[in-house]
Amino acid sequence: MTLRVGIIGSGSMGTTHAAAWMNTPAHVVGIQSLDQPARERIAAQTGAMVYDDLDALIDAVDVVDICAPTHLHHDMILRAAAKRKHIICEKPITRRIADAREAIAACEAAGVMLLIAHVVRFFPEYALAQQTVVNGAIGNVAVVRLSRCSYPPHRDNPDSWFHDPAKSGGILLDLMIHDFDYARWIAGDVESIYVRSIKSRVPDAPIDHALAILRHISGALSHIEGGSSYPPPTFRTSLEIAGSAGLIAHPADSSMPLTFRIAERAATIETVALPRSPLDEDPYTTEMKHFYGLLTGTITTPRVTADDALQALRISTAAALSAQTGKPVFLAEVE
Amino acid sequence: MMDRAIRIGILSVAHLHAVSYIASLRMIPGVEFIGITDDDEARGLAFVKQQNVRWYPNVDALLSDKPDGVIICAENVYHEPLIRQAAASSVHILCEKPLTTTLEAGRAALDAVKAAGVTLMTAFPMRFSAPLREIKTALTAGALGHIHAINGVNQGQMPKRHRTWFVDPHLAGGGALMDHIVHLADVMRWYTESEAVEVYAQSNRIIHPDEAVETGGLVMITFANGTFASIDCSWSKPLTSYPTWGGLALDVIGEKGVINADAFRQNLTIYSEADGRPISGYWGSDSDHAMIAEFVAAIREGRAPSVTGADGYRATEIVVAAYRSAASGQPIQLPLT
Repeated sequence: MTLRVGIIGSGSMGTTHAAAWMNTPAHVVGIQSLDQPARERIAAQTGAMVYDDLDALIDAVDVVDICAPTHLHHDMILRAAAKRKHIICEKPITRRIADAREAIAACEAAGVMLLIAHVVRFFPEYALAQQTVVNGAIGNVAVVRLSRCSYPPHRDNPDSWFHDPAKSGGILLDLMIHDFDYARWIAGDVESIYVRSIKSRVPDAPIDHALAILRHISGALSHIEGGSSYPPPTFRTSLEIAGSAGLIAHPADSSMPLTFRIAERAATIETVALPRSPLDEDPYTTEMKHFYGLLTGTITTPRVTADDALQALRISTAAALSAQTGKPVFLAEVE
Repeated sequence: MMDRAIRIGILSVAHLHAVSYIASLRMIPGVEFIGITDDDEARGLAFVKQQNVRWYPNVDALLSDKPDGVIICAENVYHEPLIRQAAASSVHILCEKPLTTTLEAGRAALDAVKAAGVTLMTAFPMRFSAPLREIKTALTAGALGHIHAINGVNQGQMPKRHRTWFVDPHLAGGGALMDHIVHLADVMRWYTESEAVEVYAQSNRIIHPDEAVETGGLVMITFANGTFASIDCSWSKPLTSYPTWGGLALDVIGEKGVINADAFRQNLTIYSEADGRPISGYWGSDSDHAMIAEFVAAIREGRAPSVTGADGYRATEIVVAAYRSAASGQPIQLPLT
């Protein structure tokens, strides 16, 4: 029986997930979104029906794929779980920790899977680095450095949820949760975090940039940088993992096999920057194939659990508290 | 008409920078390098033989030979007594970094040179790095506007194989924090033209756990002007598989954009079957040489050098605060008393 997927949201993630699902045996049968042109485009691309009503979409599918703004995740997860539908949800799991706990409990009670799309775990360079650490090539992890810098999401609508920290959580949640999750995957649970950011000092600054120092319970340290401070079209990420017996290095800009220097191309800048490298299978497809395997029972061990997503949210929440207070925050102090 | 020669000696060769400093001194016209002394006679005599330089049996003997200036390359903990001794002989001083390992020693050093009326320069070669100077020029011209943040790395190999005292808590005054914070801390002060008001640090000893000092460290400095700046000072570069000693790089994030800098990017990658691993062949300008030239020029022109003992003291203050923060887990407010 074909797995029927319903996508909620038609922004950059809804569009990306729709394209990724096309590379799996699942069928995208429904799309629900407030953006009429975007949802029509996804419908035309996937053959999905357009839904105005969220509950009607949920009724019509086996799996709900939530690509809506962060502050809406909680309500949508509860509504899908209430109808006993499996759930895929973009990161962060929810805007607030208590909501994440409630969402996880609801999914457990309903017996449905809750799969959070922490896609960085599916990027081949990050996955290979993690596997290299697990294989013992660099010994015990000592100092991790992760960076993710881009330009501010420039939506036509200045009221876009991205720009509202109450809805998106700003870069500490929306952007840096990728690397908080990855650092925890590499070095284990976090003991404390200390953060400095532009927005915490200059709330109306047009850009943001944050530097975070994490101490893991293992004693390992992580330095995590996130920023929307670069001019477009920059999107640069880097990773470095130093251990007791070696080092894994992946400097920014170091592994791009192609550079197009064609004048006309520079004119196109995406509204939300996504990292890209030429690959036979893009990381979003790798991620969706993994989720498909979990949903159909051919894969039994999830690469990222709902609890991992909750823990990443706790680190982001502690980061925001540290940026606000100027003090280090111990994760034990965070609910 | 050529001025008389500027005569320079070296007090202690505990730090192997002495080798490149001597090479620089010999290249600068009008400089006479008079020789070295060392409290470790075996080490000093071996150096004398290897480098073909004159030996003085002790510090007094060298100072009695009336040098214009001395370069102190002793173990960190001996910097301050040697500064006082040289100042008492009215000799100008270039001191290897960190200037001192404690604030008390730093104040004693500054007081001594002030009383003697001699120049004290701290060996911060990154002030003379061609790429980093170009950033300073751009910042001065307003290229970035306000500096919001700086993300700096000064990682290296654990330096024990060069000299064992680098990992001796008494002689070095600490490990990676003492060794690798000061260069970037000084660059950050230079760029922001502001002083540190808060320091937070974390350290560990997971790499080389058998050593008695910390080998991993992350530091965050907040400056009075609002700039926040981090330093990774870890001895995290592998000893046998990494192509070079380490490096120093920083990203400067400003109102108008970002400057990404790697001070040692100007190198060839050399793959030699003889080495068994890629080796970096640095071809950029020699910042050590430019620093030595500035020391000589300051003596010759009777002026203060562009980087001073006071700069060394401020960098040490940041290091001391970092150790206090790493011990307490809390940010430390500056200035320290």
